[in-house]
Amino acid sequence: MGMNVTELNVNPCKCCTPLGAVTALYGIKKCMSILHGSQGCSTYIRRHMATHYNEPIDIASSSMTEQGTVFGGEQNLIKGLENLIQQYHPEVIGVATTCLAETIGEDISGIIDHFYQSHEMCRNVKIIPISSPSYAGTQFEGFFRALYGIVTHVEMDTAPNGKINIITGPITPADTRWLKILLDAMKIQYILLPDVSENLDGGHGIQYDRLPQGGTSVDDIAHMGGARYTIELGTFVGEEWSPAVYLQQQFGIPYSRLDVPCGLQAVDSLLNKLRELGGTIPTSIQKERERFLDAMIDSHKYSALGRAAIFGEPDFVKGVVNLCCENGIIPTAVITGSVCKGFEEQLRPLAEKAAGVQFVENIQIKSDMDFAGLEECMVKTHANIMIGNSDGRRVSRKLTVPLIRFGFPIHDIVGGQRLRMLGYEGSLVLLDRIVNTLLLQRNKSFRQDMYDAYYLPLVQNEPAVESAAAGKGMKVAVSYAEKDIKKRTQEHPCFTCGSGKQKYARMHLPVAPKCNIQCNYCLRNYDCPNESRPGVTTEILTPEECLNKFKQVKKMMPNLTVVGIAGPGDALANFEEVSKAVMLIRQEDPTITFCLSTNGLMLPVYAQRLIDLGVTHVTLTINAVDPKIGAQIYDHVTYMGVTYTGESAAGILLGNQLSGLTYLAEHHIVCKVNIVMLKGINEHHIETVVKKVKELGAQITNIMQLIPVKGSAFEQLPLVSNFEIMEMRKTCGVYLEQMMHCRQCRADAIGTLDNDVSILYRKEVLAAQQKASEAGEVQKHKNTCLKKRLAVATKNGMWIDQHFGQAKEFYIYESDGTEIRFVERRNVNKYCYGKENCGEKTDRMTRIIDTIHDCDAVLSLRIGNAPLTELQSKGIMAIATYDDIEHAVKKAAAGL
Amino acid sequence: MDSGVLQERADSIIIKRSGDHGCRQMDCEKASVAGSVSQRACVYCGARVVLNPITDAYHIIHGPIGCASYTWDIRGSLTSDSDLFRQSYSTDLREKDIIFGGAEKLKRAIDEIAITKQAKLIFVYATCIVGVIGDDIEAVCREAEEKHGIRVIPVKAPGFSGTKSQGYKLACDAIMNLIGNSPYKDIKKQGVNILGDFNLAGEIWLIKKYLKKIGIPVVSTITGDSSYASLMKAPSAALNVVQCAGSSVYLAKQMEETFGIPYFRVSFFGVEDTSQSIMHVAEAIGSEATIQQARVFTESEREKSLLFLKRYLPHFEGKKAAIYVGGGFKAISLIRQFREMGIDTVVVGTQTGKKEDYEVIENLVKPNTVILDDTNPAELEMFMRKMHADILVGGVKERPLAYKLGIAFCDHNHERKHALGGYEGVVNFTREVNLSLNSPVWNCLAGR
Repeated sequence: MGMNVTELNVNPCKCCTPLGAVTALYGIKKCMSILHGSQGCSTYIRRHMATHYNEPIDIASSSMTEQGTVFGGEQNLIKGLENLIQQYHPEVIGVATTCLAETIGEDISGIIDHFYQSHEMCRNVKIIPISSPSYAGTQFEGFFRALYGIVTHVEMDTAPNGKINIITGPITPADTRWLKILLDAMKIQYILLPDVSENLDGGHGIQYDRLPQGGTSVDDIAHMGGARYTIELGTFVGEEWSPAVYLQQQFGIPYSRLDVPCGLQAVDSLLNKLRELGGTIPTSIQKERERFLDAMIDSHKYSALGRAAIFGEPDFVKGVVNLCCENGIIPTAVITGSVCKGFEEQLRPLAEKAAGVQFVENIQIKSDMDFAGLEECMVKTHANIMIGNSDGRRVSRKLTVPLIRFGFPIHDIVGGQRLRMLGYEGSLVLLDRIVNTLLLQRNKSFRQDMYDAYYLPLVQNEPAVESAAAGKGMKVAVSYAEKDIKKRTQEHPCFTCGSGKQKYARMHLPVAPKCNIQCNYCLRNYDCPNESRPGVTTEILTPEECLNKFKQVKKMMPNLTVVGIAGPGDALANFEEVSKAVMLIRQEDPTITFCLSTNGLMLPVYAQRLIDLGVTHVTLTINAVDPKIGAQIYDHVTYMGVTYTGESAAGILLGNQLSGLTYLAEHHIVCKVNIVMLKGINEHHIETVVKKVKELGAQITNIMQLIPVKGSAFEQLPLVSNFEIMEMRKTCGVYLEQMMHCRQCRADAIGTLDNDVSILYRKEVLAAQQKASEAGEVQKHKNTCLKKRLAVATKNGMWIDQHFGQAKEFYIYESDGTEIRFVERRNVNKYCYGKENCGEKTDRMTRIIDTIHDCDAVLSLRIGNAPLTELQSKGIMAIATYDDIEHAVKKAAAGL
Repeated sequence: MDSGVLQERADSIIIKRSGDHGCRQMDCEKASVAGSVSQRACVYCGARVVLNPITDAYHIIHGPIGCASYTWDIRGSLTSDSDLFRQSYSTDLREKDIIFGGAEKLKRAIDEIAITKQAKLIFVYATCIVGVIGDDIEAVCREAEEKHGIRVIPVKAPGFSGTKSQGYKLACDAIMNLIGNSPYKDIKKQGVNILGDFNLAGEIWLIKKYLKKIGIPVVSTITGDSSYASLMKAPSAALNVVQCAGSSVYLAKQMEETFGIPYFRVSFFGVEDTSQSIMHVAEAIGSEATIQQARVFTESEREKSLLFLKRYLPHFEGKKAAIYVGGGFKAISLIRQFREMGIDTVVVGTQTGKKEDYEVIENLVKPNTVILDDTNPAELEMFMRKMHADILVGGVKERPLAYKLGIAFCDHNHERKHALGGYEGVVNFTREVNLSLNSPVWNCLAGR
């Protein structure tokens, strides 16, 4: 469980026990598995595995029902075994339990005995019970529980055979293939359990076999009892489920449990052990080791950049931690979803040693953890790379930390089954992936990082050049030449105090209905044509409608220079619509100036995209630069799906406003800052606001009166007089140019500032004009009266799919044979008239016929003779067909 | 490998004979045969599918971890607002909870998110063993509602208690539980609700766009891209249209009874179905002008789509399709859509089709076509080979099988990342079928 939410698992970093059991069983030759439980368990697990391995995954289920749950599922399981054998002819079957079977206390071994007794001919099939309830662990434990089940249920041939047992946990098919090649190269006689190399990463041969043909055979497993030694690759599974421990206790076979061979030292340990056992290390492997070591040295300075988050099954995690630590990559956030004894105790010393070199102090290592917990650990320790399965992608995206995919499941990219991390070569493949990711990350950002760290402080301390758009010295790519922007500003009625304000017209497009903050002075409503203030509009337009309106207005208003987006909500809370509208209009008229107003909350996300879109003028409303004051002005702020109130709301908003303003100004966007003067709240703070926004690059501020809106929180706030406003503007004019002529326009204003003609361009007015021209046509249509009424027996409303006698509803149409008109859907039960007709089965026909009494014909999939006669007597024609409705109705109506 | 058809399954397989018109009865709507390797999921899955797209609700899975793990954010339901539904919350029951009961853990979990996360709406799903160990989740939810003054709705969905369809019903009941007393039920009726669309790859946005084009307002979408607030408005609609009938007709019926909102079914798969559905809505509640507008719109879209399709037709000549999907409605839509593309369907099956569905299917397809209910990999393999299918339309579990057999594949389930509904969907579907059917990789197979 995470630290943030303690009572719930939030985003699991684990799958369930039966999944692990089934995975292990895929390493056995000609083996099928059946889950004793609900149908869903097998389907979910199949889906999960199929997307990872891209192989057909067939897992049977005993398909337990309510009855089976109450009275025991023996019948279900026996039937399931029978059917599984008939369909697949397996030599081995693993019966893995689910939560349900374990909770109701099923005796699996007993049921298997009963099965053998009643199915003599199936005695040659080895059926192995595996206890794997989900509540007992994760897929990691499930994997070993299956292996344990296998070695304990196969009768062992204890005659010494000189072989070595090699037991693995969940490793990839590609790594399994490597392991086999290694053992062969070292001339070791071995029995590998399990062997998933073929069954979970099959080829495309001539013949597809639904029964897995690869894997370890039961014959081989039977010889494990006579082996001379066991190596188990994995150290975290409890001794009670360790096949190596069992073989030692039962048959006295000595064993070693080694870390999965990832990283130089872990691979060395395995090779040394194999050499001790009589293996020889060929030169080719010696060369591999030399190459790996060489690469480790080549990369060590890049490796040192890494602060890794590592998550997944315990043994996998340890393998990666080993690799990281010996290369100087510091594992700072290490978690597993399993409840794992010794996890932290084993890993912490390794991680701390690696961390000590660079004096990194905070290391988080936790077992029984979810992704919410991992995220917290990563934030605390500033992890900059993640290594684990695909489920980490959400954290990766949220924290913008790259993810190296490894482990299970990997279902958002291909190739999970072919990933390599074992052996010198496999370790090197993984190391290269990690190092290269770190390198690309650094290459991508180092210019900007250095610029921000060293250059910005230099210029920030210099006095600002007179205009932000011209100043700041920094050259970034801009979409418009500065001169062009200056000209645009002169032609923008709201950004100039000169003659432009009367000469040029602008239009506001009400394309942005949603808002992401609630200001206490604001109440947006859309249906008051007589009120004029921000936030008001009579209608909302789609981007396409915006284009239309623009075309209409442009036609009549040649002095239109500016298209603005001023709500009625916030432009950036509706970015998709806004950007689409801008693009459409830009295509229509490349010379138009785009302007928009925003509260700035989403600026950090969209500023660059605004620039890319060619927006040159932005108005930001910043009422305070102190969260304490902001908290009195904003009721709440909804940011990235979370709603904030109070000072945290105001703080988030402010931070985004300031960084957004800085960014825009640096990129030569002309920024105006609106400030609403609120008596008793920010009147003494306005000067500070003006100074601050000037410092960040605003070109003009616009101090406005509050318009008290009925129903808003500030409805009762005292008014600011004209005099007071002018005084304030004068005071602030010392620092920055002031807008004196603001009209506080509507979100759909059109025209010059002094002459709003928006009323002439409303949708309905435009539509009425268009309608007038079409009126003739509509009249013509009305004259073609649709004569026939037809009932259709359909359930799906698309085609005729009901028997007349079984119909519970009819869709009613009118048609003249060429056109068709849907009238309504009628429910048969609603059409019962009076008690005497109701309820009785024999009267069903009467009810159906009552339902369609006003129709000329009825269409159904089929109809009996009795109702046919009955209908005929009422003058209703019956037609049997399975066609789609439109076609059938037209055809029928034409024939009536 | 021999036939592999199990005796108990023989009546769930129909081979269409020439001259037959749906006269045979499919053995369907039953529990799966144990050991047959059914492709079906469970009751919990059905409930989760329908409710999960409610974007701003906390969905708590009460049970051991597996059920939460496998349903965490695997579907392509998109949101225009909250992302909460893409998080997984589970009580993650352990051995000791199985012995002593999990109700206390659940209570603490609800308390925690009600207080620290200011949750307004919580769904609690009970999985297989919750009933068996005796947790009374209804009581826990009721108490939590009183204690916190929020909605906490129980969904008792043990996997074994029926099929996926049972889960759909439970979800519909949960939605009625939520909106039954909505203050919006007394408001003047106008606009439509879209039921049974889960906004996969933004499909509900496409439908909304069409309706907006013809001037019909959408009140609420159930449950694709919905929120607590948007669902509460649903009772004020004048009409319900139902896209996925299997999951949502039951809800439409209840809303008709409770709020007096009439409903009918629609389909947005394929050119013809999409056009017809738009016309139906316009004709049902639109003005004369709206109907006219809808006619113009659907005609022009139809023309565009057919023009687009025309170019591809030579690529589809002589190709044969196999279909294995969840419900009968989608199967029938696909057969029709393939027909528009000049492709014959030679194998078709569903997980939860009804008798009438199979009757329609039998009427639609050509002689010798194989029709299957609740089939399994062995049968699919056998019939796809026998009928020489060139492409399989199904879910991700079937994909590797198709590929192993050298058969193209189109993903038509909830995990896809592109829209298959509406006119845009016709374009996507046509492209996808073409690029898989005619991929050069098949030329590398022996014998081609």
